[in-house]
Amino acid sequence: MTTDTIIQTRGLTKRFGGFAAVNGVDLDVARHSLHALIGPNGAGKTTVFNLVSKFLAPSEGTITYNGQDITREKPAQVARRGMVRSFQISAIFPRMTVAENVRIALQRPTGFSFSFWRGEKVLTALEDRVDELLTSVGLIEWRNRTATELSYGRKRALEFATTLALDPELMLLDEPMAGLGQEDVHRISDLIRQIRPNRTILMVEHNLAVVADLADRITVLARGEVLAEGDYESIAANDAVIEAYIGGDID
Amino acid sequence: MIEFLGIHPGLLFGQVLIGLINGLFYAMMSMGVAIIFGMLRIGNFVHGAQYMLGAFAAWALLNLPDLFPGLGLPSLNYWWALVLVPLGVAATGALTERLFVRRVYNLEHAYGLLLTVGLALVIEGMFNLWFGAAGQQYGVPDALKGGLNLGFMFLPIYRIWVIVAALAVCIGTWAVIERTPLGAYLRAATENPDLVRAFGINVPRMLMLTYAFGVGLAGLTGVMAAPIYQVSPQMGQSIIITIFAVVVIGGMGSIAGAIVSGIGLGVIEGLTKVFWPEASSTVIFVIMALVLVLRPQGLFGKETQAHSGTDISVSRRESILENGRIWLPVLTVFGGAILPFIVYPVFAMKILCLALFALAYNLVFGYVGLLAFGHAAFYGASAYGAAHVAAVWGWPPELALLAGVALATAIGALFGWLAIRRQGLYFAMITLALAQIVVFYAVQASWTHGEDGIQSVPRGTLFGLIDLGDTMNMYYFVLAVFLIGFGFIYRLLRSPFGQVLKAIRENEQRAISLGYSTSQFKLVAFTLSAMLAGLAGGTKALVFQIASLADLHFMTSADALLMTLIGGVGTLLGPIVGAVIVVTLQREFAGYGAWVIVIQGAAFVFFVLFLRKGVIGSLEDWLGRRADRKREAG
Ligand SMILES: Nc1ncnc2c1ncn2[C@@H]1O[C@H](COP(=O)(O)OP(=O)(O)O)[C@@H](O)[C@H]1O
Ligand SMILES: [Mg+2]
Repeated sequence: MTTDTIIQTRGLTKRFGGFAAVNGVDLDVARHSLHALIGPNGAGKTTVFNLVSKFLAPSEGTITYNGQDITREKPAQVARRGMVRSFQISAIFPRMTVAENVRIALQRPTGFSFSFWRGEKVLTALEDRVDELLTSVGLIEWRNRTATELSYGRKRALEFATTLALDPELMLLDEPMAGLGQEDVHRISDLIRQIRPNRTILMVEHNLAVVADLADRITVLARGEVLAEGDYESIAANDAVIEAYIGGDID
Repeated sequence: MIEFLGIHPGLLFGQVLIGLINGLFYAMMSMGVAIIFGMLRIGNFVHGAQYMLGAFAAWALLNLPDLFPGLGLPSLNYWWALVLVPLGVAATGALTERLFVRRVYNLEHAYGLLLTVGLALVIEGMFNLWFGAAGQQYGVPDALKGGLNLGFMFLPIYRIWVIVAALAVCIGTWAVIERTPLGAYLRAATENPDLVRAFGINVPRMLMLTYAFGVGLAGLTGVMAAPIYQVSPQMGQSIIITIFAVVVIGGMGSIAGAIVSGIGLGVIEGLTKVFWPEASSTVIFVIMALVLVLRPQGLFGKETQAHSGTDISVSRRESILENGRIWLPVLTVFGGAILPFIVYPVFAMKILCLALFALAYNLVFGYVGLLAFGHAAFYGASAYGAAHVAAVWGWPPELALLAGVALATAIGALFGWLAIRRQGLYFAMITLALAQIVVFYAVQASWTHGEDGIQSVPRGTLFGLIDLGDTMNMYYFVLAVFLIGFGFIYRLLRSPFGQVLKAIRENEQRAISLGYSTSQFKLVAFTLSAMLAGLAGGTKALVFQIASLADLHFMTSADALLMTLIGGVGTLLGPIVGAVIVVTLQREFAGYGAWVIVIQGAAFVFFVLFLRKGVIGSLEDWLGRRADRKREAG
């Protein structure tokens, strides 16, 4: 195995009942690259994410992360190894404040999380970092609001800040632009560019302009299988890909 | 007569036969529970009461002339009952679905269970009022009287009939569900209820009929059981707990699974009666614990997704009553200090003990979102533990209390570790079933003194200084314990740990993706909750100088739930308010027998349907809205 590959799947398969949502997928994500996963709706992209992040157990196949077999690990375990995912529908803690949302992520590596006897004060040391992160995503003036009050675009930004708080080595972003207006798309694109150095990002995205702009490498998934892989030009010129997209639903 | 293994074959086969019959009844009941759960996502706790209803209806049909003299009604025998009762009970089921169950489909699972617990209490309480706790006899029908003498045993014809008929019902139900188009719809609906909604099927009617069918099965089981068991108002409550255990063991994956595990467990129970009688009442629950360790999804269950959400999300706005309000602890201390001058000190102590118990319960139910259903085990175990070391070993009260708390904490850690493997309704069923093991243990063990309990527990001298025999001394000790418990929870909710609990309740998937092993946090919270419940139970044993089976009883767990629900799930003050209300109600209705049960059941139903946020939660909502209006105006 090569150390340039951060995540590697072999024969990854997930069946729901008799139906194979993901079927024999071999995926290699190079370290420090931005790798996009695209494909029509229902192609199995989210399922691949769930498998890689261990939220689903594969029916068959193996997953290695930094050369280690993580096929049998628990999702929280791989998160602690440095692989943090986002969700297709924005995942925040709605009734916590914006600052608390970020702080809960910063709190995890402190080792205080089981301290039921300590006061909240032990967490105040994290506040500076919270503010830094909130500033970087442009949410600082919202810090004391309840997260549910934010607009959808800002919720996405908050989710981003929370993920970044863990300084993940590998980020899995499931359709980060979905449901966002043009302005928010630009903002999130800029953020992604900003955090890219020294990080690996695996991203599902429907917005092909964004993919063309950001991705180093693209894997196209259709009906649970890898249809093509390469850089944007080669993918855009691939007949099978064009057919899958026209036959499918680009949305 | 030949014997083997020192066992008389007549005894052996007799018990196997009884086990087989029980097992068939378990199978019929758990099929109903599984079908209802599959389609409606309702944990039908009232299933036991509906079974009891079937048995009573059969008895009533037979005794129509005596029950309604002057109307000239005929006495309808067993065969009439066999036809009419399942239909009648199914009709009450349809009505129940329309009036009550339907209203909770869109709520979290927990409310469906709470609602059906309430309905079960109302029905069983009413029957207790009408017919008394004592059982009625229902004779074997004439055509099935007598039996076959097999030489080594006497085989009653009625039992043969029950085996044949119950098997036919099981196979028939299986065939309908697995082999007909109707069953295919039902199965599709179980796998994916939303899909069937999209098919344009009249879903409300389908749900109503499914519920009625499951309930009708319970009614039929009741009729068939009537000539074998005493027909009594309590007959449903013990069987439903066993049925839940059977369902956990079998998994709800398949009808065949329900049948096989029901029959198998009945037979195992029968065999245990022969070879190890003391263990026969617990064997099913112990098997459940083993299955949870070895195959958490159940013997026939499909692997469920490892991480699902919580049972109840009591997400609510920032609490306007709690936030940064210094008066809250002040008020609690002050209120506690003057309470014994307002009400009898003993009554005040009862309120404090139960309030602490409810606070402990609320920690798992309200703040972690787990529907635990067996907290009486911790409350009662600590009561017994403290009572024993104080009464028999002569330990001083502070050490006795610590011993009780240690026992409760240990049991809590064990039960939590077992139950945390399953989520949602299963969690409720498992904690309920595990608590039942403790009840049976206390009935059988010698140091617990069975029905009598441990009596005349000395209150002793606290730290060798303060005589707790004095009522006011005792009261202030109880108040101190209560405040320590309350302060503990207050602190915990604001601790880093409390923050994680909040995050888990808000969005468990996201908490996992941030690297929190949420099961471990839940387990710690559950254990701490058991510890505090133990603190309440041990204190209660010292106050009332007794530990008894009532402390372990299912109703004590239900009390904790009810107090929390009435006061406001997930609020800090709610359990205290709930305890005041419930303890007062219990005292006011103490002289009216089973009315207490009926009222408590009705309170469950009322609060689930109309006041889910409870007293404190609703008050907070109102205060919050008022504050919003003021802000907008100003
Ligand atoms: N938990 C599940 N149970 C059953 N089928 C599922 C489940 N999750 C996804 N699927 C199915 O798997 C296929 C792939 O889904 P998904 O991975 O969400 O696609 P994508 O993200 O590419 O749109 C879809 O047909 C979907 O219906
Ligand atoms: Mg998707």
